[in-house]
Amino acid sequence: MAFTLRSVKVPPNSVSLEEARHRTFDFFRAACRSIPSVMEIYNLHDVTTVSQLRSTIASEIRKNAHITNPKVIDMLLFKGMEELNNITEHAKQRHHIIGQYVVGNQGLVQDFGTKDQGISNFLKNFYNSNYF
Amino acid sequence: MGLGLLASRTLRTTTILSKSPRIFASQDPSNALRSIVSTPELQNPEAAAAAQPNPTPDLPPRTPVAGARVHLPNPDDAIEVFVDGYPVKIPKGMTVLQACEVAGVDIPRFCYHSRLSIAGNCRMCLVEVEKSPKPVASCAMPALPGMKIKTDTPVAKKAREGVMEFLLMNHPLDCPICDQGGECDLQDQSMAFGSDRGRFTEMKRSVVDKNLGPLVKTVMTRCIQCTRCVRFATEVAGVQDLGMLGRGSGEEIGTYVEKLMTSELSGNVIDICPVGALTSKPFAFKARNWELKGTESIDVTDAVGSNIRIDSRGPEVMRILPRLNEDINEEWISDKTRFCYDGLKRQRLNDPMIRGPDGRFKTVSWRDALAVVAEIAHQVKPEEIVGIAGQLSDAESMMALKDFLNKMGSNNVWCEGNDMHPCADLRSGYLLNSSIGGLEKADVFLLVGTQPRVEAAMVNARIRKTVRATHAKVGYIGPATDFNYDHQHLGTGPQTLLEIAEGRHPFCSALLNAKNPAIIVGAGLFERKDKDAIFYAVETIAKLGKVVRSDWNGLNVLLRNAAQAAALDLGLVPESGKNIESAKFLYLMGADDVNLDKLPDDAFVVYQGHHGDRSVYRANVIFPASAFSEKEGTYENTEGCTQQTLPAVPTVGDARDDWKIIRALSEVAGMQLPYDTPGAIRSRIKTVAPNLLHMDERDPATFSASLKPDFCQKMSLTAFGTTVENFYMTDPITRASKIMAQCSALLLKK
Repeated sequence: MAFTLRSVKVPPNSVSLEEARHRTFDFFRAACRSIPSVMEIYNLHDVTTVSQLRSTIASEIRKNAHITNPKVIDMLLFKGMEELNNITEHAKQRHHIIGQYVVGNQGLVQDFGTKDQGISNFLKNFYNSNYF
Repeated sequence: MGLGLLASRTLRTTTILSKSPRIFASQDPSNALRSIVSTPELQNPEAAAAAQPNPTPDLPPRTPVAGARVHLPNPDDAIEVFVDGYPVKIPKGMTVLQACEVAGVDIPRFCYHSRLSIAGNCRMCLVEVEKSPKPVASCAMPALPGMKIKTDTPVAKKAREGVMEFLLMNHPLDCPICDQGGECDLQDQSMAFGSDRGRFTEMKRSVVDKNLGPLVKTVMTRCIQCTRCVRFATEVAGVQDLGMLGRGSGEEIGTYVEKLMTSELSGNVIDICPVGALTSKPFAFKARNWELKGTESIDVTDAVGSNIRIDSRGPEVMRILPRLNEDINEEWISDKTRFCYDGLKRQRLNDPMIRGPDGRFKTVSWRDALAVVAEIAHQVKPEEIVGIAGQLSDAESMMALKDFLNKMGSNNVWCEGNDMHPCADLRSGYLLNSSIGGLEKADVFLLVGTQPRVEAAMVNARIRKTVRATHAKVGYIGPATDFNYDHQHLGTGPQTLLEIAEGRHPFCSALLNAKNPAIIVGAGLFERKDKDAIFYAVETIAKLGKVVRSDWNGLNVLLRNAAQAAALDLGLVPESGKNIESAKFLYLMGADDVNLDKLPDDAFVVYQGHHGDRSVYRANVIFPASAFSEKEGTYENTEGCTQQTLPAVPTVGDARDDWKIIRALSEVAGMQLPYDTPGAIRSRIKTVAPNLLHMDERDPATFSASLKPDFCQKMSLTAFGTTVENFYMTDPITRASKIMAQCSALLLKK
């Protein structure tokens, strides 16, 4: 289904922020509608729930809430649509979904020990990487 | 190749500079009152009259090629020539090609190079000159008053096309496998000026490749006999290794006998070769120039601070090229600078490590390593803490190290090479006061205990340039060494120095008669016990020869390490002479050339650095740090010019920037340093040494050495030693480099 979509022309840019906003909601609804089948395809019932996945999608979209340029929003929507197509086509594997949308970027091991309490942001960043 | 980039850079700065007055000028008439006269000529009849008889075509103002500027010292000597109808004023003695450059016309050329003598043998720069029967080679033709030069006529174009056809006759068509491809003058110019077909059907000639050593790869069939390399070797590098053999089609460049090119500047022939005949051997078939990302940085292998461009692809440094800086390295760099980069990939430390009870290093996390070091640092007495900065350290990390150790209660912190030199009060006492470019004004040199050829190859090139241009006299005191210019070996030790100071030596007359005498003292003398007496003798000579005047300061110290000048500016000098003997906690920040024999066995050694070099064998904890190609750091060169390195590639493994490590350690140890960003650390540096914030500027010393109190101490008469044993391996990076190892095996004179 999506392979046929790809040959279709890319829709014209949103004229206004309002239109882009509308498209975003459309995209979110489309994603929400596909969640049950995604759960089925990737056999996710024992690791997550529909509502959890929905809130993950919502938070991914909210990450870009500060963007006001309709062109950029269109681009992000396009990328999101591609991602959604890939997922519904089973172009990904189960661990991709779990890694990206169930567990999150932080990974399974999350160090919230008491060790880091009371240290400066500099030291926290220092332990993570050289670039901050 | 490099030239184009250099040129565009200079051009950019000049346009920026010239922009503001132009804007100002354009605003001016609009703001001024406009007079209500319909014919503006009537306002200024003289100008109108002058303009009338000479109806110059309305040519747009041209920007000179590569920001070329003409300085007319004497307006009478100026002549006017016309380049494509555009009048330019140039001083007498300039060539037609230079006049064209001033007029903004770039003439194609192969053999002409502005820093070398004129050969005039490639004939690519042919232009048409009115009333001359044939096109003339513009690089060799002096411009004459009123000359009408035409660079864009059918005659000139046909001449270039013909030259290109002749050059390509014997040039192989192997651009796809040639390392010069993409930055080749012949390639570019054949696209721009060449014909679309050749008429040559016979066999091309082929030439046997020459072995010039481990640095320069030769494919002599590609050579177009421009002789730039021959002229560079004899004129700039000062070695008579290369030459032209044979005549006609049998003509070829080569060493006369089977011989390697033994010059510390040999890598520059790669840059000046307009074709792919001389290319870099370590870079051969590694990358194409359009894949590379260039980062403008500073060399740290010696105290000169040559300007370089680090070309990288992804996380790997692929090559190092020179950048134009007339005041420091002109457009050359030494072989050590150019080829040390493969050392950045070997022997790197990539994880924090702690030495276990069995003597083997175990990889640990930063958290654990810092905690261990902080705990031990608190267990020793403050005066038993010693910190040594290495020769490649940047000013930011040295500032952090000094602040941290001071907070811990110790002031035993210094930089390699300064371990015996407590006199950091007057900047004139440790800088190259004449400046590197200023050495060209000197007419007598006295080198005391320094071998500039191995200590600072670019300073040596500057001295050689001066000696060649003005026949300046050079006197040298020190062990027998290799010079590539005429010099007098006056003696080997302090005895000769005393003789000159007392006026008994024949060299004194040369010194006294000189207009701008320059004394250069090697930083190797800092390590002698009697250094104060030696410096006193040198100052006596300076007084005797009037070396330090208001208009000329010829009393110079030639430092050895990139970090040395900044360390002395920041006050990293040891408190007493016997620090290492009593140390219990030694913090080595990249210091590998310190003698640790006298260190007590129970001392705890922390090594922070980027290479597993000498000091790692004694270290208890290793902190991996980033190398100069991976960090932003401030360095001050030997003449006091502050410059900055920029990160070209990411750091290796879990390494961190030097100052960040010390900042993190200070927090773990409970002595938090008050800066979190490079900007904050620089404002701290500003309170200590504000000159380190004036980027790309040379801050000369304000007071001269005459303020120092007289000092008398018995001078020992042991001869001066050699400071640098092996030019190719002086620091952790070069010692890890395979190319440098090959060079020291093949090229060092035994």
